[in-house]
Amino acid sequence: MRELLTGNAAIARGAFESGVTVAAGYPGTPSTEILENFSRYDGIYAEWAPNEKVALEVGIGAAMAGARALVTMKHVGVNVAADPLLTAAYTGVNGGLVIVSADDPGMHSSQNEQDNRNYARFARIPMLEPSDSAEARDMVGLALDISEEFDIPVMIRITTRVAHSQGFVDLKEPAPRPLKEYRKDIRKWLMVPAFGRLRRVALGERIERVAAYSENAGVNIVIPGDPKVGVITGGVSYHYVREVLPGASVLKLGLTYPLPAGVIRKFAAGVDRLIVVEELDPYLEDFIRGLGLPVTGKELFPDTGEFSPGVIRRGFIAAGLIPEEEARPVRQFDDMPAVPARPPVLCAGCPHRGVFYTLRRLKLVVTGDIGCYTLGGLAPLEGMDSCVCMGASIGMAHGIDRAAPGLRGRTVAVIGDSTFLHSGITGLLDVVYNNGDTTVIIVDNGTTAMTGHQDHPATGRTLMGRKAPAVDLEGLVRSLGVARVRTVDPLDLAGLEEAVREEVAAPGPSVIIARRPCVLISRQAGPPVTVDRETCTGCKTCLKLSCPAISVTDKTCSVDPVSCTGCGLCVQVCKFGALAAAEGGGNGA
Amino acid sequence: MGEFREPLNVIVTGVGGQGNVLASQVLAAAAVEAGYRVSIGETFGASQRGGSVMSHVRISRDRTYGPLIPRGRAHLIVGFEPLETLRILMDYGNPETVVVMNDRPNYPIGCLLGEEKYPDPHLIVEAVNRLAAKNHVLPATELAKEAGNSMAANMVMTGALSGSGLLPFGGDRFTGVIETLFSGEVRDLNMRAFQKGTEAVQAAGTAR
Repeated sequence: MRELLTGNAAIARGAFESGVTVAAGYPGTPSTEILENFSRYDGIYAEWAPNEKVALEVGIGAAMAGARALVTMKHVGVNVAADPLLTAAYTGVNGGLVIVSADDPGMHSSQNEQDNRNYARFARIPMLEPSDSAEARDMVGLALDISEEFDIPVMIRITTRVAHSQGFVDLKEPAPRPLKEYRKDIRKWLMVPAFGRLRRVALGERIERVAAYSENAGVNIVIPGDPKVGVITGGVSYHYVREVLPGASVLKLGLTYPLPAGVIRKFAAGVDRLIVVEELDPYLEDFIRGLGLPVTGKELFPDTGEFSPGVIRRGFIAAGLIPEEEARPVRQFDDMPAVPARPPVLCAGCPHRGVFYTLRRLKLVVTGDIGCYTLGGLAPLEGMDSCVCMGASIGMAHGIDRAAPGLRGRTVAVIGDSTFLHSGITGLLDVVYNNGDTTVIIVDNGTTAMTGHQDHPATGRTLMGRKAPAVDLEGLVRSLGVARVRTVDPLDLAGLEEAVREEVAAPGPSVIIARRPCVLISRQAGPPVTVDRETCTGCKTCLKLSCPAISVTDKTCSVDPVSCTGCGLCVQVCKFGALAAAEGGGNGA
Repeated sequence: MGEFREPLNVIVTGVGGQGNVLASQVLAAAAVEAGYRVSIGETFGASQRGGSVMSHVRISRDRTYGPLIPRGRAHLIVGFEPLETLRILMDYGNPETVVVMNDRPNYPIGCLLGEEKYPDPHLIVEAVNRLAAKNHVLPATELAKEAGNSMAANMVMTGALSGSGLLPFGGDRFTGVIETLFSGEVRDLNMRAFQKGTEAVQAAGTAR
């Protein structure tokens, strides 16, 4: 049967067909849907781990026990999982182990665009790069075979465009694998220095063998063409190259660590001019140049941002391979209306909104974190000063507190519930242990909202839909040693402000849990707020909430009854009583 | 439509939350039902929270194409929102591009705040008329309300796309997909919305 699948769904399908029985990950765009899809198959186990490091450890354990295992994460998640990853390369596997790194060139939904191909070389683990859904499905099976054949974890590196694009996949029947026998072998699995040294040597030998395999790997393909130009490429860029320069000779690399030096030399020898087309770092280019081959790459194509057919076209024009006029610039008129940008914004009724409004009003320094709520840092809310990585808010607030006496008592950390459980707990422990005074606000909307509402250890449900013990956040932070813990409703602005004022002023660590379910999940839309146009002065105070339902037209405020959820925040900020929650509306008012 | 241009490049665009991913799914599934190959490129992630979103759907007979439509190469643009329609048309359109657009504006935050000006909707339609070969404008949100829920505007637009006669397959392919994808009240709502979109575009077409 042939189905249209996203790259992510295709990876899940490949894992199912190839006998993966254990899968773990942490949600992160663009990787999230791999596990969501995989969890729906029969006879498998899949879980959301609290973070990527734990997910990989679950995968390593499953592989050690003899199962085929899949671990998924976004590119920055690999940083979190890097510790077990680099040593898992030493131990190798028993059952096959595949780690999917979903990179995000162009930073559609990420804080950086690191090129995780470097991780494969850094860890010395084989890496496969599919260019579409069909290849993504096939490469999971291949990765598992390589993993078992060469006793090594394998990385499948995809990008947003592969993860979220859809193409045809011919489905195969699943081929179940018997669990391999587990044998105790401390020289392989107990990485103390004496054994680690031996496994490091063995790793070198194993990767040499993969390099030899790479020379004949069916996923490194030459598409013969005009010998004047030879293009070396991989991933989704391959499709753009084929479309923009259809006649060229192409070497499409699917196994990109270890790279097939012999294949590359032979390809280079058959063409007059060698060009590398790769998104982000000059990863292939550096290797090819290291072989002593003349090659052009980043002189023509940018080393930042996502590629598109247009970017490739401009590069080939610069290389003199396509005449300028073929660029077909889009027709424009001088008198077209200006088209304002449309940045993302917190949803109408979002429970995070009031927190950032309040923090801005109180002129606090706010270290932020990763989630929908990072949007609270953008104008006009501007209730956040920083966002670095998952969990960074708490350690950074403590650092500010220790460094700058003038900012002490004026700094708060804001972190979501899922992010707190991912990597905020240790930050808070640091504050408590080192007698810090930091105030932490956990904005608890009861889900991992940004990535599409995944469960986590405090939601009471697992990825596979089973009931689970829900972490008691208040109890958890108390157990870490935080004495001042209080819970507020973020739609009650007066109560929220009072709590923040008191906790920021109080000595010692404090935690405020601002709890209210994500409006997209609760769907608790009350009747919309109404405006008394006689009373409204057009002062625009309500606009500071950055609510997509409120605008000011004809000098008075208006509320869009379709998008307004009746949360009542604007009713609370209006100094003139011009905004009114309808009967039964105004959740927090 | 007459000759089939390979690949047929369709862009579905709108504002995060308007359901354009679902509309592109339905379009792609209908094309598959009709025996075509399809590749789809989506934007989702942070932009889902009220940002600009678009889906690229490429329909072909013989070979599969990459997921992104090159700039200037869209044959059809389905715009769920006027400003987004113009934005995408300016980037991806050419003088032969045909547009199907919803007339209901959704204001970006900068316009709500009064820092930027949302162009007069008539000027947007006029600009689209000038840039595109043909422009079908319809009150999709109003029609969706008539069908039962304004959220079904995406299916009104899908119906309009089908009714425009610009695709190499008919509305029965779409209704078949809607039958299988949804059930109960949601299916009925989507079906009504789809029919309203088809009728609206066909009525306007005969009037011209």
